[in-house]
Amino acid sequence: MKFGKIIAAGILAVSLTVPAVSFAADKPVVGLVMKSLANEFFKNMLEGAKAHEAKRGDYTLKAVGMQSETDIETQINAVESFITEKVDAIVVAPADSRALVPPLKRAMEAGIVVVNFDVALDEKAKQEAGVELAFVGPDNRAGAKLAGDALAKKLGEGAKVVIIEGNPGADNAAQRKLGFEDAIKDGKLSLIDSRTAHWETEEANSVFANMLTANPDIKGVMAANDSMAVGVVKAIEAAGKTGQIKVVGFDNIPAVQPLLKEKKMLATVDQFGQQMAADAIDKAIGVLKGGAPLKGWVKTDIKLVTSDDVK
Amino acid sequence: MANPMQSAAARTAAADVRPVLELSDVRKRFGGVVALNGVSFSLRAGEVHALVGENGAGKSTLIKILCGIVKRDDGNIVLDGAPYEPHSPADAKAHGIQVVHQEFNLLPYLSVAENICFEDIPRKRFGIVDYKAVYDKARHALARIGLDDIDVRRPVETLGVAHRQLVEIARALMGESRILILDEPTATLTARETERLFAIINGLRAKGVAIVFVSHHLNEVFANCDRVTVLRNGESVMTADIADTTQEKLVASMVGRQLAAQMAETRNLDASSRIALSLKNLRHPASPHADGVSLDLRYGEILGIAGLVGAGRTELLRSIFAADLPLSGTLERDGQPRRYNSPKAAIRDGIGFLTEDRKEEGLILAMSIAANVSLASLGKISRAGLLDADAETRLTQSLGKEIKLKYGKAADPASTLSGGNQQKVVLAKWLANDPKILLLDEPTRGVDVGAKAEIYALLRSLADKGLALLVVSSELPELITLCDRILVMSKHRIAGEVAREDFSEESILSLAYKDENNHGRH
Amino acid sequence: MDATEINSASAGSLGNTAKTVLREAGIGIALIVLIIVFSLTTQHFLTSANITNILTQVTINLVLSIGMTFVILIGGIDLSVGSVLAFAAVVAGTVMTLPGLDPTVAVMLATVSAVAAGILFGLLNGLVSAWWGIPSFIVTLGTLNIARGAALQVTGASTIYSFPAAFNAFGSQTIYGVPVLFLIALLLVAIGWFVLSRTVFGRVLYGIGNNEEATRLAGHNVFFYKVAAFTICGAAVGIGAIIYMARLNIASPIIGIGFELNAIAAVIIGGTSLSGGRGSIIGTLLGACIIGVLANGLILLGLSDFMRQMITGFVIILAVVLDKYRERLTKA
Repeated sequence: MKFGKIIAAGILAVSLTVPAVSFAADKPVVGLVMKSLANEFFKNMLEGAKAHEAKRGDYTLKAVGMQSETDIETQINAVESFITEKVDAIVVAPADSRALVPPLKRAMEAGIVVVNFDVALDEKAKQEAGVELAFVGPDNRAGAKLAGDALAKKLGEGAKVVIIEGNPGADNAAQRKLGFEDAIKDGKLSLIDSRTAHWETEEANSVFANMLTANPDIKGVMAANDSMAVGVVKAIEAAGKTGQIKVVGFDNIPAVQPLLKEKKMLATVDQFGQQMAADAIDKAIGVLKGGAPLKGWVKTDIKLVTSDDVK
Repeated sequence: MANPMQSAAARTAAADVRPVLELSDVRKRFGGVVALNGVSFSLRAGEVHALVGENGAGKSTLIKILCGIVKRDDGNIVLDGAPYEPHSPADAKAHGIQVVHQEFNLLPYLSVAENICFEDIPRKRFGIVDYKAVYDKARHALARIGLDDIDVRRPVETLGVAHRQLVEIARALMGESRILILDEPTATLTARETERLFAIINGLRAKGVAIVFVSHHLNEVFANCDRVTVLRNGESVMTADIADTTQEKLVASMVGRQLAAQMAETRNLDASSRIALSLKNLRHPASPHADGVSLDLRYGEILGIAGLVGAGRTELLRSIFAADLPLSGTLERDGQPRRYNSPKAAIRDGIGFLTEDRKEEGLILAMSIAANVSLASLGKISRAGLLDADAETRLTQSLGKEIKLKYGKAADPASTLSGGNQQKVVLAKWLANDPKILLLDEPTRGVDVGAKAEIYALLRSLADKGLALLVVSSELPELITLCDRILVMSKHRIAGEVAREDFSEESILSLAYKDENNHGRH
Repeated sequence: MDATEINSASAGSLGNTAKTVLREAGIGIALIVLIIVFSLTTQHFLTSANITNILTQVTINLVLSIGMTFVILIGGIDLSVGSVLAFAAVVAGTVMTLPGLDPTVAVMLATVSAVAAGILFGLLNGLVSAWWGIPSFIVTLGTLNIARGAALQVTGASTIYSFPAAFNAFGSQTIYGVPVLFLIALLLVAIGWFVLSRTVFGRVLYGIGNNEEATRLAGHNVFFYKVAAFTICGAAVGIGAIIYMARLNIASPIIGIGFELNAIAAVIIGGTSLSGGRGSIIGTLLGACIIGVLANGLILLGLSDFMRQMITGFVIILAVVLDKYRERLTKA
């Protein structure tokens, strides 16, 4: 039903400017396959895509979301109906990095431009299917390195730091940890402990408070997401060490804006989730308009956010 | 329950002096408590050997040792000339020792057949259950004990207690047993089912199986057994041929004192006393009859309810007490119509209900004696919802004195008491509320002889004080001893009334079976 | 006969006293052993700052565990506490950040609404499971999802932050090194202990947990007591939500995941029987402290996350096994 509503909205938006009859012929149609729209991150992403469509005005967007994070069948059905409808491009954030490979292969065989964003499809599955498919998305490792570098610059060589990790086993958690470690190596910081807090504020608060007890001379903290950074900042406050320990995070969620402003947090990283779908659509249209086919990993923007960026 | 099945002739025919099992000076302690303090007795092939004694005398421990559940500390057991030391129930079974436990070990959601065959399920290749063989085997096993009217595919859960007992026996008889131990097998059986059980026992005896028969019912012991061993305080105090002893002698050696006189006291009832409770067509949801049950109960009266298992006796008490809400009919209390919507309302109206199943419905074993005594009268020992521990202890002490409760401290868990004293605690719970009417369902079940006499005396004194007592019991001697009047129920209806001067087991049983004979077994 | 019964009764009374002492003291001794071990093996364990930390970290779990004790005592279980905590927190967070409210009024209203939200779900759990006789495991598995979904729905999946400064400061307040939030939890422990051990209400809860039918037949309205136990648990969760917000200054629909398991673990380690009828709030307090001390001490020891998780698991099982052993030892 969401799908219908979006199309209706699209038709409404288009019919304001051009006669409805001609739109299908004039503009390329882009099918957008999203993950769970119950998730704030993807909801914002879809809104970003819709705004992008209205702004560019040279393509028609058809979007499909899912009921839940694991509703893979809905995504496969969406890809197949897009093939039947003969859309010009499919832009997809796959819910499963393997299951989506075969239907996307069929789409490519039907001459549709396919762009994979948000989560990369599995390399091995792609190889087995004989599919060459680019991935458009952020480099978590590079992003974490940006934040880590900022911390290293502030603290100087030899400062003792700790990492608060995301869920063990999650790909983005692993990438961000690697990025932090890169920065520690380059900045010659001293990593004295690294523990998971499962992306969780309360757990990060407890875990970091205990780490601080064990190592009272910690000077910096790298948290793999901002929710955990919030917990860390509270633990520093409780220990009466505000200002003495610097914290960096990741994601640039609204809740850290006041912390950045009050300088309780040094920096975070924005990966522009809201624009990610729009970026992928741009890339797809570029190919449609005769641009070179995408290859490998097309990295999207990441940006370090500090107190200077917070108004 | 008198049983005519057993004749002296059969008894002599089966006699054989070869001991198959010999115990000498067996001892067992659990922590600081001595459970067995020197038990010796021998078991011969082809005899039925009764094991009697009060609760706590050590019968259960002895059985547990024989079937490999617990290990003895000391003493010798010789089975067929070889030392016998079972290390598990399976090992005991392998030695040909089968036990029918007092507490059922059935799997309620599996079928009768699956239960019977559970120890050795017939299977086809790849471990697939051979259901045809399972059903055949089960039918055969049930037929052996004369039970052929039961669908072996029915879940055990849907069976009545008596049938479950028979299934349990059928299961025990599946294996090749040389020794069969029956722990209180007749406790839940009706007279007819008991007869059938003894017919089965006789058949086994004739085949040379040695049978240990544990029972509180001395009538059954005298009618069916060859020899008897009495346990008291964990010791075997006597073994005798049944022919050489009497009920009085047995009871005397079980309890160490004469009780017969005490059990047979008579009372004078004032027949003109007021009616405390009057039922008109009260119908329990499980009753098939729209006209339900009608009866009058007077103050100072002990009214007995007799009947077979499943006659609706317990249901009658439950519908009076609103433990189950009656479908229809009226209830008058002191001439005023009442409709209780919960036990709470019945209690408030001066009714108490001692249930059949003490452990499931009567007592909270893990909680203190005091907490059990006060459970139905918490309002009396509290103010503004706050408990007064001293008042609770005082209540327990004063009631405990009144009912001759033997206990250590009021704070001890109820589970530390013997069966008889547990039952007294349940009585105390209701007495704490100053009830006007007591409903008593099997008031002496699982209670030993000595405590039984005390409970009878207590119930009589309560009636003398003007309480109205409605007593359900499967033990006819109990009703005959205790009651002023007996109503006999059959199939959820009153089949007839027997006045005290006409009391006899025959007069009661003929009424109980009246309906059965007309309609056949259910 | 007299001799037998007096024997068994006196043995029972001795056993019972020993049992009570062993039960609570056993957990206490385990806690003391842990504290001694960590004091000897780590440098910072026995410092006032670290004790403050432990007390802070124990608080939320302790509050949830108090409520959980009521539910487990009647033989129930509440799997929804983590989700309900999130729901209560976002409701309270929404109220607290309403524009134009005086900070004091906002905090008071938020507290009331968090407790009300908790009670709402407690009532739902209790009414559904008691009325239809559905195992609370299943009902609360349902409300676990309902509350989480409702929390996401209310907030559109976003985090609420920037609570009044005074509220935030209150959350970090300590008195002689003891966090104020922990004192609140201790107050709840005292209330819970009093209710369970000194009131008719508590007595009947124990009765239901041990033998529901006997309790019903003794004239108690079992339905009411069951609903009440779940409602108390819900109210405790509401208080837990406010404590969460005071401590961390945020409210998010994804907080509290898995909190129910920690609360259940604390209750079980504290010696309360999962089948109901046996246990105490003091045991729960000690159980929560054991979990908190263990989490803290293992980090101070420098053990890896994975080792930490394994050891915590072992301790839960060990606690239950020891409990069985104690039971057997004192039963004979």
